[in-house]
Amino acid sequence: MAGRGGNRSRLLLVILLVTSIFLITLDLRGVSLTSKSRSVTQSFLSPIQRGVSTVFSPVGNLFSNIRNFGTTKSKIDDLKRENAKLKAQVIFNEDTSGKLKKLRGALNLAGRAGYTVIAAQVIGKGSASTFSQTITLDAGAADGVKKDMTVIGSYGLVGVVKEVTASSAVVLLMSDPTFRIGVRVARSQSIGVVIGEGDGRFVLQLLDPAGDIKKGDVLLSLGSDGNRPFVPGVPVGRVTSVSDTSASLTQNARVQGFENLNSLGVVAIITKAAAKDPRNALVPTPEPTVTVYVTPKPVVDSATIAPTPTPSKKG
Amino acid sequence: MSPSRISLSFLFLLAIFTVQEAAISRISFPIAGFSLFLAVLIGMMALEDRTGAIALGFIGGLILDLSPTSNSPVGQWALVLTIVGYVIGTNRESIGDFTTRPGAFVLFVALATALTLLLSLILGALIGDQAGTLGRNVIVILGNTLWTFLFAPLFLPVLSLLRKSMLTSRERI
Repeated sequence: MAGRGGNRSRLLLVILLVTSIFLITLDLRGVSLTSKSRSVTQSFLSPIQRGVSTVFSPVGNLFSNIRNFGTTKSKIDDLKRENAKLKAQVIFNEDTSGKLKKLRGALNLAGRAGYTVIAAQVIGKGSASTFSQTITLDAGAADGVKKDMTVIGSYGLVGVVKEVTASSAVVLLMSDPTFRIGVRVARSQSIGVVIGEGDGRFVLQLLDPAGDIKKGDVLLSLGSDGNRPFVPGVPVGRVTSVSDTSASLTQNARVQGFENLNSLGVVAIITKAAAKDPRNALVPTPEPTVTVYVTPKPVVDSATIAPTPTPSKKG
Repeated sequence: MSPSRISLSFLFLLAIFTVQEAAISRISFPIAGFSLFLAVLIGMMALEDRTGAIALGFIGGLILDLSPTSNSPVGQWALVLTIVGYVIGTNRESIGDFTTRPGAFVLFVALATALTLLLSLILGALIGDQAGTLGRNVIVILGNTLWTFLFAPLFLPVLSLLRKSMLTSRERI
């Protein structure tokens, strides 16, 4: 009896393994059936994600919020009811104002370059069980979003649209290990490829081994043929260190992305690139520092001060 | 495993998958992430016989493959989880019944999650997937195992009870 059961399970195992390998082969050969099945799942999931998103958005950052709670534990008992009400209000307000800030940032960035954009809210993050890094947005084909469109945030590149349904879109984040983007160094115009490493850091491979690159250089997207998947001129990141590899064919550097991919609330999808390449228009400028020069004031007699000439009005 | 149990398990896994995609994935866990779907699936496989574990593994893998956020080719998770199902099913008889030993059950599910992720990574590397740096992958696997270990005591007893209520009197013997 046990032997028959064992044979049956082994036969099932073989059948299912062969089926799986068959599916993988179909997918790798680019059969559209498999990619279509994913967009069907997405159209089923997006309304649920949207519904959960409105309720769940403040809870999403639960772990980081917990750290900020309660140094005044003794008083909490007295103020419990009022506190709970206020806390909910504060979280809601913070959430809303955070989203507004991000939206303003993204629209400012797009406006400076002259991109036509659609603002979209993040309604889902990539599944924790898979190694890929994606976000789901609440804008889809009905809003004009198409596959391979560039997505930006307040400070720079976020990723590229990977999958689109009628009302939602899945974006492959630039931190995904499969992500590659052609970039140019804003200062020296050397070109290279930035590769995602799975977190906020990236590697830049400069195509020219003698290319000019140094710490602090800003990288802008090179742009693709027909502006898809990448429009030119989007800030990608800043070089944090250059590795000294005189023996290798390419020059490598570590890059820090401009956008914090862990706290994306609202992003902008570029539907139409600028009529003219924005060149270096989007290079982030450092915060202006105010320098005050104090010069000793000479003590003079008020009578000796000559009157300041003022232009006389004609007519 | 009867066809009705297979279809019920499929619907149940689909519901868990929806919860995972819509809610759990949104929580930014301090280290890596937690996959409720994977933990529940492995818990279910650990309670089945060999044929059941293989069938559940394949079904669960297919659902995970259809995830729009997944970057791997369709079929990869099905392959990985079928193998994991076979491994679990084969070794289950030597480990014994989990329903009476909740501690061992939790530990088993956490370790099987780590094995699943590791297998998926190896298979991904074999078919040419870019999988990021070694350090990050180790963190993802360890983080997932840790969170599964911490959260599993909350839902595994429910899973055992659910399965018990679904069994026919003949299957219970």
